[in-house]
Amino acid sequence: MGTLDYSARIEVLASAQNNGLAQMVADLILQNLLEHPDKRDAFARLRGRVAIVAEDAEVAMTLEFAGNMLTVHDGIVGIPDLTVRAQGEDIIQMSLLELIPHVGLPNLFSSSGRAFMHKTQTGQVRVYGALLHIPLLLRLTRLLSVY
Amino acid sequence: MAHLFPSEAWTAAYQAAVNANPNYKVAGKDWTHGKVALIVRADASIGLEQDMAILLDVNAGTCHGASYLTGEAARPLAAFAVEGPYDHWKQLIIENQDPIKALMQGRLKLTKGHLPTMIRYVESSKQLLSSAQSVTTEFRR
Repeated sequence: MGTLDYSARIEVLASAQNNGLAQMVADLILQNLLEHPDKRDAFARLRGRVAIVAEDAEVAMTLEFAGNMLTVHDGIVGIPDLTVRAQGEDIIQMSLLELIPHVGLPNLFSSSGRAFMHKTQTGQVRVYGALLHIPLLLRLTRLLSVY
Repeated sequence: MAHLFPSEAWTAAYQAAVNANPNYKVAGKDWTHGKVALIVRADASIGLEQDMAILLDVNAGTCHGASYLTGEAARPLAAFAVEGPYDHWKQLIIENQDPIKALMQGRLKLTKGHLPTMIRYVESSKQLLSSAQSVTTEFRR
């Protein structure tokens, strides 16, 4: 099976060109897809809208996944299935969650996993819709992780 | 003595400040990914006729050299380049703002370099930029 042209499958809309968060997340996903073939399956299966809000930076974006396609919007667009609200630094920390080898799920017993769980328990990181969209959350975490 | 930002003298003082920052020594100890260019975009109204860069030769928690170059000269030499207008750099230095926040807001841009690597060293980036606060700085406006 040939490799897809992932750069053509991730579209940052013109309205999001000046949204640094949107650019960073889109770049991160593209780099991860290019360098970690094991993440491509998660990208192919991802469907739904994910809003990410960096509260301290007062920036929001929406990721619209449609199975091997991603459209990146400025702000919150449509009704998100998942909404992540956190400080910018904690959003970055999400991409540092280590994954369990061969399984690809976040390792919540690693130092980064424990720190992330602590922040969700104390409300520093809030993920709305997680219980209703667990596969979406897990695949998103896998896609965003730099590991 | 205050050093004009950006300038050769400011760059030399900044290198000393980075090396005097114990937090950078710790956060940057695993950084072996090349030079970092901080590029101030051209602004003729303050005498910057072209993009100017502070090129930092950082490795394993130490800044081995710092050069003041044009942006054009610095870009090919740097593994990572962060660019932005003068006023945004000024704000970052004065207020010790989080560089990640500035990137998210689109006030600074990573124009060269591997984003996942930079993310892994986010604390190193923060300490690198916070070192600028200890440089006595004279701003062009």
